[in-house]
Amino acid sequence: MRKPTLLTLLPAVAATLLLTGCYSREDIKSEGGTATTPAEVPPTEVPGAVASKNTAAPSEASNAPLAQVNVFLEVSGSMEGFMPKPGGGAENTRFQQHVAQFLSDVNRSTAVQQKQFFRIKEKPYRDSYQQLSGTVRGGIQEPAKSTDIPSVLDTLVSRYYQPGSVSVLISDFIYSPKNAGAIPYIKTDITDALNRAGRSDLAVSVYGFTSDFKGAFYPALKTAGAKRASCCDTDIPYYFWVLGPADAVRRFDAALLSKQSAEQAHFGVTYPVPASSLLSKFQNQGSWYYGDEGASKRAAGASYHTITVAEASAAQPVEFVLGLNLKALPALYQDVAYLKQNLQLIGQDTDAKITQVFAATEQTRASSGPESGYTHFVKVRLTRLGKAARPLQVVLNDRRPAWVNQWTTKNDSNPNQSGAKTFALSSLVDGVQAVTTGEQDAQPIFRIDLTLQPAR
Amino acid sequence: MKALFQTIYELIGQPQPPADTPVYRDVIFPNLGLLNWGLSLALVLLFYLGINRAMGVATFNKGRHWGIFLALNAVLAFVITLWQTSAQQATQHSYIYWLATWNAVLSMLWFFLFSLLLKRTSTNASTTPF
Repeated sequence: MRKPTLLTLLPAVAATLLLTGCYSREDIKSEGGTATTPAEVPPTEVPGAVASKNTAAPSEASNAPLAQVNVFLEVSGSMEGFMPKPGGGAENTRFQQHVAQFLSDVNRSTAVQQKQFFRIKEKPYRDSYQQLSGTVRGGIQEPAKSTDIPSVLDTLVSRYYQPGSVSVLISDFIYSPKNAGAIPYIKTDITDALNRAGRSDLAVSVYGFTSDFKGAFYPALKTAGAKRASCCDTDIPYYFWVLGPADAVRRFDAALLSKQSAEQAHFGVTYPVPASSLLSKFQNQGSWYYGDEGASKRAAGASYHTITVAEASAAQPVEFVLGLNLKALPALYQDVAYLKQNLQLIGQDTDAKITQVFAATEQTRASSGPESGYTHFVKVRLTRLGKAARPLQVVLNDRRPAWVNQWTTKNDSNPNQSGAKTFALSSLVDGVQAVTTGEQDAQPIFRIDLTLQPAR
Repeated sequence: MKALFQTIYELIGQPQPPADTPVYRDVIFPNLGLLNWGLSLALVLLFYLGINRAMGVATFNKGRHWGIFLALNAVLAFVITLWQTSAQQATQHSYIYWLATWNAVLSMLWFFLFSLLLKRTSTNASTTPF
């Protein structure tokens, strides 16, 4: 009975092989998956942790086209220099090229169902697209003496304000009060005009452009004469103001004005919270991991908002990156310089600080990791955190962009000296802001809730 | 159960890289733990009840034969760790090999404990290894 040992062992060896071999990889994987990830996932549940509400529910209607857009072009004498009648030289201004193109874009757009075009003199006059475009290209036929900005705004807000529709006012926004004593009340005039109709969800987007100017310039301040003939050597600013309900303005901005290379400012417009996620394998440093439930499943497209820190100290700092998808926001809020200044981190019991804000690069976009889905990244560094879960918020504050003040002048009687500036622009904007923010404090553009917790 | 496996497997330290901690704690540790128990129990049953009782083999009951199964158990535990971590797409890191070694050590421990429990049920090897 020495020889058959191996033979008798054969079934045993076979059984051993069977034991390990009868499961295919997929079998065990799925079995392991179901058997070992039961419903309860206790390690991540922390009492007092802030539930993250970052799953923004974009309104279903946001994809539907806007009901109506009304485009108003001011045709007072002060606008003539933007739209000179074609002479022998057949030179046109940048204003003409740009506005003609914009009107064409609006007319062609599928994002808006109904388009109406108006000339603004003392009151709005209905035009067809061809008529208004012809005015832009061929010059103003019968310029109005002057248009009073508050009354125009009043008209737009009271007569052309409808859910799902916006008004676009194209003008130089040179507001000359009746006398010098009225100058301090410009802000109040604008506020009152916009407020007269009592629209609670009024929003205004302001886009600023500059154009060469060939004609008579009518300054707001008449100290050096009521008009400067054959002006100007410098560019003159003009503006698109988009007025309407907050939701409609946001959608119009996104559809038709997102690609404008303009200065911009937005008042009262609210935006859905952008998609965001922590990235645990992108420029991460130190001992931390996702503390969210289901983080181990690593589902495609999942987003994470809980940082569990195993160890953090001055010698071993933790660095994590939050990816943000700001594609739906206006260009102003995608500007890295703006983000660097206005992104704020609000935490408790921690020294967490934003160390870096940067936009997506070719490398991140081409990555197979989750970072490819985000347009901007915020890097946060910390060496210390609370004993239990604490909320940590990334907030983008709404601050008026610097160009508004830079484009403001107190005296526009000689544009060649003052440059491409508008009289009392910041006061106009103050008036708008007073209406759209109301009594409460300014709301941030967005707020992303994170949770910072020590490992258990 | 999960907490138990986490405790056992983190005796050698935190999973590395730290970003993979959730997948180790929630998936890989429990998988390894359960597979390890199953493997050791199966080999012990095979040795004591299969070979040395049901099949009645009389020449495979010495301490060294038991040692062969112990070593086989350890090797399989090592391989299972490598396979599990790659199946769960854990990031390549030397930690995986430390974990595999630790898993092999643990598998020998389980094999030994199961042996103590089950050796009396065997007819031919009831005193193996001692």
